[in-house]
Amino acid sequence: MPQLEIIVDRPQRWDVPFGDAMRDEDVDQLLLVEPFRSIDPSRFPAALPMRGILKNDSRINVYQDGSIVVREGDYGNSAFLVLRGKVQVVLEGLGREVLGWQPSQKKGFVESMAAWWRSPRLPEVRDRLSAGSSWTTNNRDQVEDLAQTRVFLQDVPRVLDGSWSMTLHQGEIFGELAALTRAPRMVTVVAEGETVLLELRWQGLRDLMRRTDALREHIEGLYRENSLHVHLRETPLLAQLPSESLAAVADATIFETHGDFEWQSPVEPYAPGRQPETVMNEPLIVEEGTPCEGLVLVRSGFARLSHRFGDGHRTLAYLGKGQVYGLAETIQTSLNQEPAAMSSSLRALGYVDVLRIPQAVLEEHVFPNVSQQAIQDAAAKHAFYCTKNHCEKQSESLGAEQGQVETPLLEFLVERRLINGQQSMLIDLDRCTRCDDCVRACAATHDNNPRFVRQGQRHGSYLVAHACMHCVDPVCMIGCPTGAIGRDTESGSVRINDLTCIGCSTCANSCPYDNIRMTEVCDRHGAIAIDKTTQQPIYKATKCDLCSDLAGGPACQHACPHDALVRIDLGNLGELSRWVDR
Amino acid sequence: MISFASRRLQSVALTIVVLACVAYWTHWQGSVFEHSAFGTGYLLLAAILFLTLYNLRKKMPIPLWVTSTDWLQAHIYVGFSSAVFFGLHIGWRIPDGFIEGTLAGLYLATFVSGLVGLYWTRTIPHKLARVSEEVIFERIPRLRSRLRAKAEQAVLTTVRSAGVTTLGEFYGNRLQDFFENSRGLRYFLRPTSRLRKSLLAELTEVSRYLSEPERQASELLFALIRKRDDLDFHAALQWRLKMWLFVHIGLTYPLIIVASLHGLLAHLFDGGAL
Ligand code: SF4
Ligand code: SF4
Ligand code: SF4
Repeated sequence: MPQLEIIVDRPQRWDVPFGDAMRDEDVDQLLLVEPFRSIDPSRFPAALPMRGILKNDSRINVYQDGSIVVREGDYGNSAFLVLRGKVQVVLEGLGREVLGWQPSQKKGFVESMAAWWRSPRLPEVRDRLSAGSSWTTNNRDQVEDLAQTRVFLQDVPRVLDGSWSMTLHQGEIFGELAALTRAPRMVTVVAEGETVLLELRWQGLRDLMRRTDALREHIEGLYRENSLHVHLRETPLLAQLPSESLAAVADATIFETHGDFEWQSPVEPYAPGRQPETVMNEPLIVEEGTPCEGLVLVRSGFARLSHRFGDGHRTLAYLGKGQVYGLAETIQTSLNQEPAAMSSSLRALGYVDVLRIPQAVLEEHVFPNVSQQAIQDAAAKHAFYCTKNHCEKQSESLGAEQGQVETPLLEFLVERRLINGQQSMLIDLDRCTRCDDCVRACAATHDNNPRFVRQGQRHGSYLVAHACMHCVDPVCMIGCPTGAIGRDTESGSVRINDLTCIGCSTCANSCPYDNIRMTEVCDRHGAIAIDKTTQQPIYKATKCDLCSDLAGGPACQHACPHDALVRIDLGNLGELSRWVDR
Repeated sequence: MISFASRRLQSVALTIVVLACVAYWTHWQGSVFEHSAFGTGYLLLAAILFLTLYNLRKKMPIPLWVTSTDWLQAHIYVGFSSAVFFGLHIGWRIPDGFIEGTLAGLYLATFVSGLVGLYWTRTIPHKLARVSEEVIFERIPRLRSRLRAKAEQAVLTTVRSAGVTTLGEFYGNRLQDFFENSRGLRYFLRPTSRLRKSLLAELTEVSRYLSEPERQASELLFALIRKRDDLDFHAALQWRLKMWLFVHIGLTYPLIIVASLHGLLAHLFDGGAL
């Protein structure tokens, strides 16, 4: 009779340390340098000691002259502290070739077929349960590290010549922005001479920040500073400003955060059966009808633009990263020399970082320095996505070139925060014959267990299925203790490293869209893995990985015979409206 | 993104051009070689084999460059074209002979099942989408038993707590059967809302005799009847879509076997072209 269960050790958070070479002596040395020297170890619980964090969540990397530490555009899950030497932060975009980008390696058709043929016929079979302890092998080096990048920049002085860069020295921290905001790296950092860096994965950084006020304030200060600096440079309206004017704008810019950064945890408003949050509960940033006080730039997150309608508020648009609010009013105020009233309200959807540039600063440093054409271009560029009703009224100004959808559809997407999804699975139920070819294709390419459920939130005949949407702000990553769930460095899709997943369900509980499934796993004979200590099954988090290893892209979309299923960016209303109007 | 209307237009135009060429070629063959049956026969067989390949593609889990949608489009238009090849092959006459008759019958059955399927796959999704909740076919039995348990619980609670039996009797007489049993073949073939309407009307009727706790329970029963009927509707229509495919694919196997046999015999009796 085949064995039904197999008793194994449950994978633990630190089964796979971030770096193998972290010795006790290294940790001792680290505890002597700032900021760790000032941290009180007694504030850490016994299960999560400060030493443990440094030993397991950090690693010491030595970089040679010209090594790229982080590349602009990569997704990174760690921050760096300069221990010795210095690094150059390159603020201006270097070419992709210079940065060593390679096209990603995907399995070809024959390779994919062969892998499918060889794969076990039972569902959720694992040859290895974790990298540290497995039932067949113990092969740590096969653990993928999505965050490691070692590319060299040839001839650094020549490449950086003329580029805008700054130098960071011993004791300075960088990379915290991308690590903590789940956003791509905004700059490239290159080692100058032999440099020793401490790399801290964001779970460790977060745990240290939680228990150390000074470190938290320091990191938040850096975050604000760097965020402001880079963001202002990226804003088209400000890009042409002479550097002294830009500096004046930067000095006067006010940084604000609205809503909760860990917005998934307290309410879980979109769990099945819950009512969507109402507009009025969202943190107000600017209220309709109040006098214009300046421009608001969205740094990250989402904000809802709404207009009073009857007794409630009607959504006009939403603003995402890089978009501005109040440009028309600031121009009008400047022309009329009296404050214009804001024509709509701005509210935080979950969490949003905004920058406010006061009206006086705009009038003194921005408007006199940019041409009328540039202002118009900026207005067009920043035109928000809006509904058909709204845009028709002002087709000459904002949003004329953007995709337009009906108000109820926009309300649906915004209220449920589906605009967060960059690769949402949208099914047109008017075309879907419920044949489940999509489900079978997904199962066949993923351990015989589909990574999505063909059910979900509905608006009319459109269904947003329970498949990972590879969000702009993947809040599922917030609590993962091992960093098993993270962004793919190149594609930005959110992936789970099966070997470092300890099955704690934090990500599944954190995903506001209920798109992660915890599954039992078994060996090749079908015996279910059971934890030696608790005698409970061992789970692994599973979700859609966008078929990132397969040539040809998502199997689900390819398998749908009726053109009913698409992977789509729900934040891009232009793309959505084209698909809806096919 | 190409719109459905222009895709249809392009495909229809291409199909017409191909069919016109084939018709001309057959006509030319007929005038030169006296009969064109081998040419059209092979064309028909090739079309049928191509149509069968779609089932293989569907079984292939790895995405090929050609999506299933594109393949289905080709399947539909080649399917339509095959009817013209068939007509040309039999010379637009009813075939005599046992094998030819059987083969023609099989072909027509497959073709008609394809047409019916095309109609159903284009119309049933709209009907299903009008039902408020999306249901997965395999989960329907479990959802049904959940609804039944909820309904029974609601009725039993009123009987136990208030000691009144009006609603309980109504449930036993009219609703128990509805919640416990499947709707039967007739409903599956032609689902209607007649029973739902009549049960809701009867429950409304009986409401005037109900005590307060029973009235509250009856509110829940109203919702459960609607949900159960929606589930049955989904079950019937999704079953039809699955059964249709089963029949359509099932017919292709005998069709290919008999077509091959017919080809073999045609060659044998044609004077040893093999
Ligand atoms: S798991 Fe959830 S939160 Fe995370 S990327 Fe996917 S949909 Fe977004
Ligand atoms: S993209 Fe791939 S993994 Fe994701 S749902 Fe589709 S088939 Fe499954
Ligand atoms: S393959 Fe397409 S038609 Fe079939 S169930 Fe999936 S979405 Fe619906």
